[in-house]
Amino acid sequence: MKAAGSLQKQLVYGLTLGIVVLWVVATALSGLIVQNRLDDAFDDAMQGAAQRILPLAVMDILNREEPLTQQRVAPLNALPGQVAYLVRDREGTILLQSRDADLTVFGPPTMQGFSTTPTHRVYGASALRDTLFLQVAEPLSYRRKAARDATFALLLPLLLLVPASLLGVWLFVRFSLRSVRSYRRAVEARGVGDLSPIQTAPLPLEIRPSADAVNNLIDRLRRALETERRFTANSAHELRTPLAAALAQVQRLRHEAADGPVKERAAQIEASLRELARLAEKLMQLAKAEGGSVLAEVPQDLAMLLNHVVGDLQRVATVPIQLTLPPDGPVLSPIDADAFAILARNLIENALKHGAPGRPINVELTTDARLSVVNAGDVLDPAELAQLTERFVRGSGRAPGYGLGLAIVSTVATAARAELKLASPATDRADGFQASVQFPVAGM
Amino acid sequence: MRVLLIEDNADLGQAVREQIGDDGHAVDWVQTLAHAQLAIGSTAYDLLLLDLMLPDGRGIDFLRRLRSAADRTPVIILTAMDQLSDRIAGLNAGADDYLVKPFDLSELSARVAAVARRYSGNPNPRLQLGELSIDLTDRSIQREGEAIALTAREWALLEAFLQRPGALLSKSQLEERLYEFGAEIESNAVEVHVSHLRKKLGFNVVDTVRGMGYRLGRLEQP
Repeated sequence: MKAAGSLQKQLVYGLTLGIVVLWVVATALSGLIVQNRLDDAFDDAMQGAAQRILPLAVMDILNREEPLTQQRVAPLNALPGQVAYLVRDREGTILLQSRDADLTVFGPPTMQGFSTTPTHRVYGASALRDTLFLQVAEPLSYRRKAARDATFALLLPLLLLVPASLLGVWLFVRFSLRSVRSYRRAVEARGVGDLSPIQTAPLPLEIRPSADAVNNLIDRLRRALETERRFTANSAHELRTPLAAALAQVQRLRHEAADGPVKERAAQIEASLRELARLAEKLMQLAKAEGGSVLAEVPQDLAMLLNHVVGDLQRVATVPIQLTLPPDGPVLSPIDADAFAILARNLIENALKHGAPGRPINVELTTDARLSVVNAGDVLDPAELAQLTERFVRGSGRAPGYGLGLAIVSTVATAARAELKLASPATDRADGFQASVQFPVAGM
Repeated sequence: MRVLLIEDNADLGQAVREQIGDDGHAVDWVQTLAHAQLAIGSTAYDLLLLDLMLPDGRGIDFLRRLRSAADRTPVIILTAMDQLSDRIAGLNAGADDYLVKPFDLSELSARVAAVARRYSGNPNPRLQLGELSIDLTDRSIQREGEAIALTAREWALLEAFLQRPGALLSKSQLEERLYEFGAEIESNAVEVHVSHLRKKLGFNVVDTVRGMGYRLGRLEQP
């Protein structure tokens, strides 16, 4: 299907073209009517001229001493244009003619009334019981010029009015579609995870049902996602207590069992349960990250939150975690506390998992809300680096993990309008891996 | 120590009670907040292990009531709620520590010991008592490089004295710390454990105050 262009452009061009065509047609019709009326007027004038010339000519001819001699008279000033006339008898002998009369344009002498030759309009009248015939001829070019002038006079305003109507139509269409444009801007401006209804100025009647349908769809989508998210979060959450019970029981079993196959079996079950617990945790984090509840209404102090997360991880960390916080006061950002904790936790866990053994991990938060986690280790190649944030992609040949962790980080960062950058080697180092996240700063 | 465990999941409660019991603490286990309230009213506990979601209410409300009644008993929250905001809310409500389910029993033991140390006013897990070097973290005790093995009850008894150096502890107070509700206590149980301690650590490790009770002996402090 060919993509439809801009409605605004279409309307402007369509309306203007329509107006111009109608205008031209109207002008052409007016031109024809004007020409018709002009012809009538000219004919009336010719007829009137003939009526005035005829008695004078008759008198002139009757008073001649030598009848039937041709005589030329000067054209009458009263006649408009370049009217020529000719008086002949029944046999065609010219009795009287205007000075510039061209005999070829008049046609047969006895012809009466109006007739048209290729170049002239001719009017004939008779007198003295059809013994004298007067013919008046006027060149058509004279009439055509008059018609042309009249038509041009009609067209002249059009040259000004077409651009004016173009501008007028454009302004009007633009004005009429302003709510549609603001709707478009509202749709374009929304973030990936934003599933709130689209609110704009009242839309035109024709578009309102579509906009309502879109909002309806968004609402259904939001509810479906929310249900799914709640289900995932609840199942992960509900899993924890029975998992804790099973893990505790199996640890007691390991503790009580004598060395041998039972103890080994118990250790295997314990490992499986731990894996299950880890998965439940990741599912819950993923649900949180994708649920869209990642932005906080009240700005949160990232420094305080990061301190908690690092404090928590330091208990289980096998290498030192060096935390650097800005010395002066809190770092406020409009991100949900739990979402930030999930992000920070995943980054640090990744660093713990993939960093070179025995080398410390550096966690730094700057005053402008930039979190950076650096671990030592081999340099990753750029292709691998680019793939890391995809779900279930792991760094090849490395420790397990990098599966969901960075995908969760990336999802949270996107939803929180934060920018995630991965680099290897780390900044100002020859080795290692650095993940940095620039969070939005509160009030900016 | 005398520990009150408030946890409604039977399997988890049982395992936790065994674990803490093995560490030498006396554990009372209740499954509702109402029972917890009763237990607290009748016994002086050294530590509460509190689940947050219980059949008859939220553990965090229970904790707030406890703190607003000026009860300073150490509390470790055990919960399935793993979000940082939950943890911060728990700590703000007055918890001393927060353990997210599922957890390792060994980690629980370590946290219990850490909280106990903090409350005894001596956060250092290594103590020197006369010729004895005591490490409360891994429950080892040495005299001039030679390890001495204690049973869980003996450890619990020693810890009770170490936590309140110089304080006089009655026989019933010691029984309360060593045995949970319903445990069968032989009438001379405390005397037996004290005599074992003296045999292993030296006679003057525990002083007897006739008719009153016992206290930590005046071993020479280096």
